[in-house]
Amino acid sequence: MKRPFRSLYLALIYLFLYIPIGTLIVYSFNNAVFSMLWHGFTLNWYAQVLQDSNLWIAVWHSLYLAISATTTALFIGTLAAISLYRYQFRGKNMLQGLLFVIIITPDIVMGIALLILFSLSGLSLGFWSLYIAHVTFCIPFVVVIVYSRAKSIDPNIFAAASDLGASELQTFWHIIVPILLPALISGALLCFALSFDDIVISYFVSGPGFEILPIKIFSLARLGVNVELNALCSLLFGLTLILVCLSQWVTRQKKT
Amino acid sequence: MTNKFQYFSVGLITTWLCIFGLLSFLVMVVMSFLQHDPDHIALWHFTLQNYEDLFNPIFFKIFLKSFYIAFMVTAACLLLGYPFAYIISRLPERLQNTALLLLLLPFWTSSIVRTYAMMSILKTKGLLNTALLSMGIIHEPLQLLFTNTAVGIGLIYNLLPFMILPIYVNLERFDISLIEAAKDLGAKYTTIFRKVIIPLSVPGIVGGCTLVFLPAMTLFFISDLLGGAKALLLGNLIEDQFLMANNWPRGAATSVLLTVIMAIGLLIYWFKSNKRINYEAAI
Amino acid sequence: MKKGLLLILSLFCTVAMADDNVVNVSVWSQELSPNIVQQFQKDTGIKVNYSTFDSNEVLYAKMKASKQTQYDVVEPSSYYITRMVREDMIEKIDISRLSNYKNLNPAFIHPDYDPKGEYSIPWVWGLTGIFVNRKYYPNDKIEKWTDLWSPKYRDSLLLLNDPREVFNVGLMTLGYSPNENNLQHLQQAYQNLVALLPNVRLYNSSSVPSMLVDEDVTIGMAWNADVYKAQLQNPDIEFIYPKDKFVIWVDSLVIPKNAPHRDNAYKFLNYVLQAQIAAMQVKETFYPTANQAALAYLPPELANSQIIFPNADLIKKGYFQTDINDNALDAISRYWQLLKLQ
Repeated sequence: MKRPFRSLYLALIYLFLYIPIGTLIVYSFNNAVFSMLWHGFTLNWYAQVLQDSNLWIAVWHSLYLAISATTTALFIGTLAAISLYRYQFRGKNMLQGLLFVIIITPDIVMGIALLILFSLSGLSLGFWSLYIAHVTFCIPFVVVIVYSRAKSIDPNIFAAASDLGASELQTFWHIIVPILLPALISGALLCFALSFDDIVISYFVSGPGFEILPIKIFSLARLGVNVELNALCSLLFGLTLILVCLSQWVTRQKKT
Repeated sequence: MTNKFQYFSVGLITTWLCIFGLLSFLVMVVMSFLQHDPDHIALWHFTLQNYEDLFNPIFFKIFLKSFYIAFMVTAACLLLGYPFAYIISRLPERLQNTALLLLLLPFWTSSIVRTYAMMSILKTKGLLNTALLSMGIIHEPLQLLFTNTAVGIGLIYNLLPFMILPIYVNLERFDISLIEAAKDLGAKYTTIFRKVIIPLSVPGIVGGCTLVFLPAMTLFFISDLLGGAKALLLGNLIEDQFLMANNWPRGAATSVLLTVIMAIGLLIYWFKSNKRINYEAAI
Repeated sequence: MKKGLLLILSLFCTVAMADDNVVNVSVWSQELSPNIVQQFQKDTGIKVNYSTFDSNEVLYAKMKASKQTQYDVVEPSSYYITRMVREDMIEKIDISRLSNYKNLNPAFIHPDYDPKGEYSIPWVWGLTGIFVNRKYYPNDKIEKWTDLWSPKYRDSLLLLNDPREVFNVGLMTLGYSPNENNLQHLQQAYQNLVALLPNVRLYNSSSVPSMLVDEDVTIGMAWNADVYKAQLQNPDIEFIYPKDKFVIWVDSLVIPKNAPHRDNAYKFLNYVLQAQIAAMQVKETFYPTANQAALAYLPPELANSQIIFPNADLIKKGYFQTDINDNALDAISRYWQLLKLQ
């Protein structure tokens, strides 16, 4: 393939990926109620989004849920990954199989399986049902990421640590965790993103008392063109952009 | 001491996964054999009715349609994504990172938002039609929204990175000297591509296809928004059983069937790839 | 390590969800103005968790999914109220606690789906008719539902994503009542609708106004308020009362059995029954209100609109939608699935 052709191809794919988002942002300044035709410039929709307290409650709920699910999944998943790496125990294969199955199970199947379980056990749908569901689908990803990093640890290090009199907990805290730190961070980021964006599973296990952002956006999107939604999405996209740039900047600073 | 730590961590994850993974799945399987009852979730009465219902020609049709859409979407993602992954993997490293970042950036916003954005492009008076009309390529606006094509485009848009990433990871890793060697031996570029590069990236392709195919059958919200609420995907069928028909047992049966099909597909792949490895080892 | 655990624990303890001064409301999408919700929160200090649904079936499924209900106020349509009463899902409302109940139009408070008016507070009503964009069909004669079967509307109709609504049309065009329990008639209606399928472009009930304004669909069935809303921005759209009869529906507010915040539910109900609030509701959502006293607060172009408030003669020509028995409802639900799968 010739070089200009390559660049053209890349550009076309990027265009495909970015045009919808660009349109969204442009139309968030459109002065119309439910039309996609241009009716003039306005900032009203942003003002409305900023004032919509229910929306910000949903944002807060989503953040809260993502942080608590990530913390728990990271805790359980890391311990599991280390055990899988260090010990031989009965049922190890079964555990690995179960993790694998959960990763490949389609979201919708997991969502309804949990919905059936919750409604039969009488757990009402709300924060706790969402929390359990999110932790469950995050755990396998943590295990995979942490496990693949743990494989690079030299096993002699454990012998050395115990020779020097370190307890199991000390070994864990002072040796394993620092080595695994990059994996823990990327695992946490992945969990956070998965949880913050999940729609299919949350759709089935969320209840009226605890509304989260993706569900809220889904119900707004069902109303068709909705300029307030455009404004909200543009804000969210801007926020992501800032965070990404920031993290890029931080890593670059570290390198130099 | 070792044991305490080990028991705790293994116990914790085993308990969690057994309750919320295994048990919930088993409960779903049990549910799929219970009798539907409009006033309650289900009646405690064994039946095969739910599965018999699914062999109704109409349900069969939707299975086929869903497969067809998912297949087309996977093929399109592969065709679009492979060259993309290949080009990126040959870029200098610094550019590679930027290219990947640009690829993933839109995907840090919610998938609903992206689907909604797609909706506004495909509308009768949306950007696509306006552009095509003003360029004189078409004279009547295309009626794209609420068709299978719209659902397909939405799915491709949402799933493309899941195809690109595994292929990229695979291509990026393999040994450039192989290509050099082939070149030295006088192979043409197309031959190298066909005989060396593609066979070596099969694991990436298979990984990408799995990551695209399964969600393409079940992402019900995409066909809800772009397809005009006609039940197009298996995901819609399942969603409808739960939320419209209030028929949990049949919804459970549909999910079980989906899982079984998925498992069969994976087993076939696993079996085949194992065999090939053995075969290669034998040589 | 300990610090980390403490941090996690303290995170959990600050669960702000233990907030008791709330009311969980679930209403039809677009039938409750968000401004009313905000004003209620400001005036009473009670936080409203407010969610929407776009079909009775979804509401019913969500209510059935939890053993202990979490909703305090929900808004089913008339025919689902009978069903919910029969299945002991909603509770009697103590009218004496609602000082603004007197504002309601007496015509709506003893309907046949709730003869004693014990369970439901009528909130909005409306009717289902035909809309057409005259820019696309300038001279077509469209007067009756049966006109939609014409082959020239191939792949262009919008149908509401609501089984009862669509079957109403299927039944009425055959001359049957929309409140039909006769399974044979329902089957005929199904056949009738199968014949309509080639003309159907999409099913939707929640984003009708925006699709009409942007001309994504140009003909089909719609609720009067949605068409009015669209007309304000796109004057080419016309609303037609079908001559072969049409259906009038009422959506009412009810309190689910064992609602967790019952007192707040009463406060909410009494609040929205105020004449000014109900008027605000009409001004922002354009759905006709069952609140008689509110009419005085409406601007004349709304109060006199033949689309929103059709005159008594027209209303007489419509059917009021009532409950049908379980067998009929199951049949409709089954046929509906088949229709959508084809």
